[in-house]
Amino acid sequence: MKYYVLLVVSLLLTCLAFSQKRYFTKTGQITFNAGTPVEDVDGANSTTTSVFDISTGQIEFAVLVKGFEFKRALMQEHFNENYMESDKYPKAIFTGKIANIDKVNFTKDGVYPVTVKGTLDMHGVKKSVETAGTMKVSGETVASDAAFTVLLSDYNIAIPSLVKDKISKTVNIKVNCNYTVLK
Amino acid sequence: MLLILAAAGYGWYLYNEQPADIRKQTPVKELTATHIIHAFKENEIEANRQYVDKILIVSGRVTNIQFDSAGKATVFLDTGDPLSSVTCSFYNDETGAVKKITAGTAVRIKGICTGMLMDVVLNKCSIVK
Repeated sequence: MKYYVLLVVSLLLTCLAFSQKRYFTKTGQITFNAGTPVEDVDGANSTTTSVFDISTGQIEFAVLVKGFEFKRALMQEHFNENYMESDKYPKAIFTGKIANIDKVNFTKDGVYPVTVKGTLDMHGVKKSVETAGTMKVSGETVASDAAFTVLLSDYNIAIPSLVKDKISKTVNIKVNCNYTVLK
Repeated sequence: MLLILAAAGYGWYLYNEQPADIRKQTPVKELTATHIIHAFKENEIEANRQYVDKILIVSGRVTNIQFDSAGKATVFLDTGDPLSSVTCSFYNDETGAVKKITAGTAVRIKGICTGMLMDVVLNKCSIVK
């Protein structure tokens, strides 16, 4: 009897270990565009950390606000000092769930549509965000592709009237990650 | 009139000024990957104040090198802690130099520190000879 219990426990543990398969990246790309026809304002960050769990669909992204790079020095300065206040709020974090993770077959190569719902914590404000994207499975790697739009006023980011025709009130954010299995 | 033109010219120059090339700037400090990760783990607020936005040279042993689809290189430095490394994101035109190094090599990398997530992150990196 004792051995049966031991067997069942060890089997359960193995199952648990398998079901907790996670994918991660430390070099995810986030790019955004807040430009208008008058001026192009775009920034890029290629050191986004992200992890997701294939059994629960739990997904997380974290990014250092200071890591966004711009074409013009002044844009980067304004982005950090006036809009994002990155000394006060150095990180932006998204935590959420891939709603239809069960539809993605991680053992079969292909492109799978996914829906992600969660909370974006940025500039000291937490707001729920929902978007659709894709996950491309190829062997042991997964490439994700998603985009969403945020309203700057939702995150208490004010644009001075002097530059209001140069900076858009909404920002388009693109997220691209190349995940590998976390061992 | 000349003054207005000069002011306008200066304004235009400021507006179009490109971000500084970190490779041409003098680093404020040189330290090891182990040292910088400890500083952030001990007191992140203080480490942010001391290192973020600063040009640093960080030395350590390479654990992994990645190239993205556009060829941009990222090098990871060993800190002695298996969960945290120093992530060094390179300038796009430094890919050639990164291709000459391999995992296991000891390197010195110059870049601008942006803070810590799981790793301490350096941006706009280049290899120091």
